[in-house]
Amino acid sequence: MLEKEELMLTRECLQMALEAGASKARASLSKNEMSIVATLDGEVDKVSGCLDRSISLNIFVDGRYGTFSTNKLDRESLRAFISKAVGTTRMLAEDAARDLPDPDRTAKDAVSGDELGICDPAWNSVTPEQRIAFALDNSVQRRQGRVAPAKFFERASCVAVASRDNNSLPTCAKKWKLISEEGEYSDSIYYNYVVDTQGTEALHSETSFEFFTELTIEDSRGRKYSGGWWEASPTLAGFHPEKVADAALEEAVMQIGPRRCRSGKYRAVIDSEVSQKVLNPILSALNAFNIQQKNSFLTDTLGKQIFPAGLDIMDIPRTPGEACGKMFDSEGVATSNHYIVKDGVVQEYFVNTYMSNKLGIAPTIEDATRPVVCKYGNAVSRQDVMEACGDGILITDFCGGNSNPATGDFSYAIQGYRFKDGKIVHPVREMLITGNILSLWSKLLYAGDDARRCRSKLTPTLAFDEVDFSG
Amino acid sequence: MKTKNDYLNLFGVSSAQLRALVAEGMKSGGDWCDLFFEDTSYGELVLRDGKVSSGGSHIDYGCGVRVLKGEKTGYAYAESTELPALMTAARKASVIAAASARADKSTRPAVQPVPAGNYYRMNEDWRLSEAARFVPVLQKLEAAIRAKDGSVHKVIAALSWQVSDILMYNSLDETTTDTRPVGSITATVIFVRGGRTEMNNASRSFRSGVEMIGDSLVEELAEAVTRGMDERFEARRPKGGKMPVVMAAGASGILLHEAMGHAFEADFNRKGQSIFSDKMGCRVAAPGINIIDDATIPGNRGSINVDDEGVAGQKTYMVEDGILRSYLHDRISAAYYGVSPTGNGRRESFRYNPIPRMRCTYMESGKQGSCEDLIAGVRKGIFVDQFSNGEVKIGEGDFTFYVKSGRLIENGRLTMPVKDINIVGNGPKALADIVAVASDLKIDNSTWTCGKEQSALVSCGIPSVLVKSLTVGGE
Repeated sequence: MLEKEELMLTRECLQMALEAGASKARASLSKNEMSIVATLDGEVDKVSGCLDRSISLNIFVDGRYGTFSTNKLDRESLRAFISKAVGTTRMLAEDAARDLPDPDRTAKDAVSGDELGICDPAWNSVTPEQRIAFALDNSVQRRQGRVAPAKFFERASCVAVASRDNNSLPTCAKKWKLISEEGEYSDSIYYNYVVDTQGTEALHSETSFEFFTELTIEDSRGRKYSGGWWEASPTLAGFHPEKVADAALEEAVMQIGPRRCRSGKYRAVIDSEVSQKVLNPILSALNAFNIQQKNSFLTDTLGKQIFPAGLDIMDIPRTPGEACGKMFDSEGVATSNHYIVKDGVVQEYFVNTYMSNKLGIAPTIEDATRPVVCKYGNAVSRQDVMEACGDGILITDFCGGNSNPATGDFSYAIQGYRFKDGKIVHPVREMLITGNILSLWSKLLYAGDDARRCRSKLTPTLAFDEVDFSG
Repeated sequence: MKTKNDYLNLFGVSSAQLRALVAEGMKSGGDWCDLFFEDTSYGELVLRDGKVSSGGSHIDYGCGVRVLKGEKTGYAYAESTELPALMTAARKASVIAAASARADKSTRPAVQPVPAGNYYRMNEDWRLSEAARFVPVLQKLEAAIRAKDGSVHKVIAALSWQVSDILMYNSLDETTTDTRPVGSITATVIFVRGGRTEMNNASRSFRSGVEMIGDSLVEELAEAVTRGMDERFEARRPKGGKMPVVMAAGASGILLHEAMGHAFEADFNRKGQSIFSDKMGCRVAAPGINIIDDATIPGNRGSINVDDEGVAGQKTYMVEDGILRSYLHDRISAAYYGVSPTGNGRRESFRYNPIPRMRCTYMESGKQGSCEDLIAGVRKGIFVDQFSNGEVKIGEGDFTFYVKSGRLIENGRLTMPVKDINIVGNGPKALADIVAVASDLKIDNSTWTCGKEQSALVSCGIPSVLVKSLTVGGE
């Protein structure tokens, strides 16, 4: 837990900075305690425990600004570090735009640190034995009669119980054997305490329980395939890792027998698990820093209809009980649930205090905390979206690639499946999609309502028309 | 030159305490214990909008304790080197001995075959230099960039450095020390011509002290970040598909890193996950091709005097004359395979246990002439020379890397500039499909960082090569 002494020490850093000659300062304490149990082939492979604490400082001296951090938190070391930091800041050029945020904008309601209800007291009661049990009990190799290494299986149905949309038909006649299974259980408690010399004081705490599995299988021709899946929850009661290994295995088995597809334009359905890949460039382009640097394809779009009518993208950082929510940003500015894009019209740039002063526009928030792409069209699940699209390519993973932040041009390698009449017919390999982010979103067909709540970005299954695939 | 006692004093520990900590870690039945003390200082300065108005420094200090029971790992760390905190970490790490049900091969047989070298110097210590010393460097870099291209709109120039003092001790009673500097300078430039915008970046990074900073480096970087912008504004996406690819010397070494290097890391092979796990001693490339992972290049970003398990940095031939000769080993995998560790056990910081990682991965020069000779032999294909990120799927061997710039090859000549495309392929197939290697090996000194579970400083290089067929993304 966070000790009173740690809070006091963070506040003392402000005083140390002022005494060293700073005119203003912000201090941010981060503390994270985590336990990990990793498994390999159904046995414990690694046990790890860690406790991290560090204090970050933003120091303002004579119109100059510097950022510093240290994990040497004894008072003597801190005082010397801060004194040197003030000296370093004095050597930088003046920048009148640097300032603390308007005190009226900072969070006043993040007092206990658990206003969002995502710091589960049950974290304190998890024992080392329970951690090992979580890791081992959710291994497919620990389940008698399910899967054994070095033995070929001809029917994936013996494991494919976790099919996410009852569309796993390609697994049926496939022959494979398990090569390795890696699992990792972890739990953590994280605190962030932000104070500044204007009186800002905000506290955040969050617990997390996670389980991840990655499996490698080999088919009868010696070709290997891997599949991964994970679950996470801020509360122990909401943590359900039971089907993770099955889902990972199903993902691996479904990839057996990939075929090439002819290059051309296809309808692309992007699985909710990876669809944030096409949202991230938009969020980045809406950041005022990139706009100020002329490194954004969304410059001069505020208040304009850029996306399809009917499309809403929101930020919902203050939804109680959900992972990754937060009451304030790194400046201590209060977050809010609000629209980023409403009915296709850009509602907001992400503008911190520095960019606000630099660009002469009103500050907002430094970034989206928990963005959500709202339902668009009448399909809810991935299967609904595929059926509505009819034919196309389902993208289940991106394997490298890039998006040009200045132009929005992108090229990504993909992994996925060809589907016809709404049903998967075969995996595809060595395929790429190319295009422009704005052009892609202008051809949005559907946004489902199936984003997993454990993710920080709530992007559902997305479908786009006329996407260039090459392979 | 620091002595062992200097490092002991830096971390406030004695040899007797190191022995006591290892004994505590081994108490529950572990067969290996090592300690990794680290004191890292970071600094950075950023020029933006014509002013060096942003900068800072950071300290990361602590000690990691690892206990092995066969191949199983117990790991804990403390952000303090006070004895009680270290003892607690040792006790936490020791639980692996009780949690491990199976007796694997011991980690002890690994032998240290090579004496540690001295591959980097720090004549002028970054930690003792004030920020004011570097402000004119960044200003000079911006001026040089603007002087080279009238369409420069914005420049972000950054200088960063880190210096790590490392002390390692293990249950063989071996003590190893190292001080690792690295300095990096980067330039990100926005160009605007006729209402169109293009971005480019370039960087240089070396294991060196402040002495690496000079006018020639500034000039080299300014040239690198402005070179080829005429072509970039003209560039288009090519028609996609499978085609021959000529990869220019230098940064194309990312092909080796992504497509082959990761699959040669012994942890993936030990677990049977790598596509190369049953290929040791087999032909994986044409005769004459040598692929190396090297920790011994003076001043190279990927060089290490010793790895993070105290094993000497080495030059490791992974592929020799086309035959797979060695994986990249840490102590665990070396014991598993019954070979000596290759000095590839690396970690991001004291917060992480070491795992097999690359250092500087490159291919030796071939005998098929120049890059121009390779291009002349291609009727229709693509030439690529600038890259950014790449990725690989270890089991499948499928890799991707992103091409920032290149040109089409038509009838043996370079024609239309191309940009913003991906190249995908399969590692073993691409390796086997290298049909010509030029004699122009170049190591790329950009700020390459590998992200396999943990960050690791690496570099890469390659001579110009012709790959018979790769899939190129396009319209």
